Amino acid sequence: MVDLVWFQLLSAALFVIGLYGVLARRSAVLILMSIELMLNAVNINLIAAASHMEGTNPFANFDGQLIAIFIITVAAAEVGLALAIVLRMYRSRSTVNVDEINLMKW
Amino acid sequence: MQWAWLIPVFSFAAAPIIVLIGDRLPGKGAVLSIAAIAAGFVFFWIALFGWMGASDGTEHCYIAIGTEALTCNYDRVWFNAGLPGLPGSVQLTWGFFIDPVTIAMLGLVTFVALMVQIYSLGYMHGDPRINWYFAVHALFAASMLTIILSDSFLLLYVAWELVGVCSYLLIGFWHERPAAREAAKKAFIVTRIGDVGLLIGILLLWHHVGSFGITDAFQAVQNGTLSEGVTIAASLLLFLGAMGKSAQIPFHVWLPDAMEGPTPVSALIHAATMVVAGVFLVARAYPLFEAYNAVPLLVVAIVGLVTALVTATIALVATDIKRILAYSTVSHLGLMMLSLGAFGYTAAIFHLLAHGFAKALLFLGSGSVIHSTEKQEISELGGLRRVMPITTIVFAIGAASLGGIPILAGFWSKDEILQAVSHGRNPVFIVFALITALLSALYMGRALFATFFGRLPHELEHTHESPPVMTVPLMLLAILAIGFGLISWNWPGAFGGFGYFVFNHKPHGFEFTWWIGILSAVMAVGAFVLTYLIYEKGSISLESTRRRFAAILRVVENKYYFDEIYQWTIDRVVLVVANFVGFFDRAIINDVGINGPADVVRWAGIKLRLHVTGHLYSYALAMVLGTVGLGIFWWLYTS
Repeated sequence: MVDLVWFQLLSAALFVIGLYGVLARRSAVLILMSIELMLNAVNINLIAAASHMEGTNPFANFDGQLIAIFIITVAAAEVGLALAIVLRMYRSRSTVNVDEINLMKW
Repeated sequence: MQWAWLIPVFSFAAAPIIVLIGDRLPGKGAVLSIAAIAAGFVFFWIALFGWMGASDGTEHCYIAIGTEALTCNYDRVWFNAGLPGLPGSVQLTWGFFIDPVTIAMLGLVTFVALMVQIYSLGYMHGDPRINWYFAVHALFAASMLTIILSDSFLLLYVAWELVGVCSYLLIGFWHERPAAREAAKKAFIVTRIGDVGLLIGILLLWHHVGSFGITDAFQAVQNGTLSEGVTIAASLLLFLGAMGKSAQIPFHVWLPDAMEGPTPVSALIHAATMVVAGVFLVARAYPLFEAYNAVPLLVVAIVGLVTALVTATIALVATDIKRILAYSTVSHLGLMMLSLGAFGYTAAIFHLLAHGFAKALLFLGSGSVIHSTEKQEISELGGLRRVMPITTIVFAIGAASLGGIPILAGFWSKDEILQAVSHGRNPVFIVFALITALLSALYMGRALFATFFGRLPHELEHTHESPPVMTVPLMLLAILAIGFGLISWNWPGAFGGFGYFVFNHKPHGFEFTWWIGILSAVMAVGAFVLTYLIYEKGSISLESTRRRFAAILRVVENKYYFDEIYQWTIDRVVLVVANFVGFFDRAIINDVGINGPADVVRWAGIKLRLHVTGHLYSYALAMVLGTVGLGIFWWLYTS
């Protein structure tokens, strides 16, 4: 069985890539994709941790999987909402560049 | 007698009715006002006879503490503040006294107010605001009557302030004239200064006695609840109020300026309704003044003497006939205070009444002159006896009475005062009191002979006598100015003279000290003869005397510079302090205290809002940094 630490390294790498994407990308769509990446990094972390729980049976504890499924569900809803917002934004401003969307300030 | 409280209520009720619907009433409300005060005059007689029929055993009647005169006291609870029996709770009552002083004053006030109001019908005829005039007149009389009747300091204070307000309204009645406005303000503010003392004194008594009742205060003095210090302090504070209202030095400056009001108002203020309130207050609170070796009475005597003497000299050189009378009022009020201060309780009240009738007569007489000639300066008047015979006669009676010509009222009352002073105080007082009496005869003679005798100025030749509505009240007052003194005598029969009616501790009959009586009579007659020679005959000229005493004359003619000193004080002290306080309020309280925090918050808001950039990445970065920060914190905290 693959050691837990490799899963955690993979998860961390994916999370940081996603974080970089959120901070550095200008396109709203790409930021959304980066958020998805971060969420899935968390999922990997959770499932790996769950399957490496102490005990003989690898499926003795479902907590990690359960939360991962929750996250997938929430992520699907979030993407639906966020893409709708991006679509409306494009309709009204003809751009999805978040640097140009700066009305919400002092 | 239990209906005596109606005396002021009639006039109190008349005032608002006249204000509201006076235009539609007969005489624009004047008739209602006169009817109200006439009803008060009728009830005065009811109260007098009721009191005469009462005795120690009669319900509500008892022998008063202090003066030991028969007093009837009717009171009822107004309301309870706080819960009865708990500390700090107070029961407010209102009620009234019927005692000799009250009855005497009721007679004076109702009669003089009635005469003045009837006279006003003629004097104020055609004035556009006549209903307002009579409404305030009614309120004025009602307030003064309430002061006289009140059996509690609180009710007395309320009425006292009402008197102040009414005097303000009436002095400033012709408020189109700047001088009238200024005089009204001056009267109100100067008397207010004294009233502060009165209020503090009343509250001090209440604090130590636990009640506003005047009798309760006397009881507390008698059984020692009130300590010496408190009693003296309270008495002096009450006297401060009395000094303000009775225009004693240094508060005398408002009264001569009050001449700016209509002349009947001056008559009312000077004779009955306002200035005598101070004398009355001292008489009413006499047991307080008398307690603990009567220390406050010495102050009363000194203030009275100084006032009497100083203002008598001013009256001697004043050139406006109303001002002569005004300063003579102040001087005579000083004599009354002096008498009270010299244990001459009866004499003071007697002089108050005699002076009240004479002074009302003199003012209404001078009003008659002013009404006909529209001149007030005695240098522009003269010889009026040829065109205004009735006014001349009654004015002469008033002047002679006040000047102390024998058998007229003023002679007896002034004599009583001089006698009380000679008994009660050391010889210095009687010497100066006699000088004041002489001056009083001199300025009265001067006012009389300079106005009505001598050469009639050409432009006044067509002056005519005032209408009967003005002269009849004058004649009635003249009768009293002549005959009122006779009630001080020991008449055979039940009535033992005024001293058996108004007295302090024990009744005393009419006394007459020959040397004082003869001396004052000689001085009075001499003074009148002297002024007759100066102003009618012209056989004595004042020019050389004037030249010799030019320096003194200038000081006296400028009224000892009281007004100038006060003006300087106001400009240099009061206004400077007020400016500083105003500056402090604007700069410290407002700018620093109130606008300061507001400015800080606004400045912080302007600076802090800049972090809201509107850039998505800055928000995201802040979230990341925040999360990292929280993680580090949690890590440090748990390890």
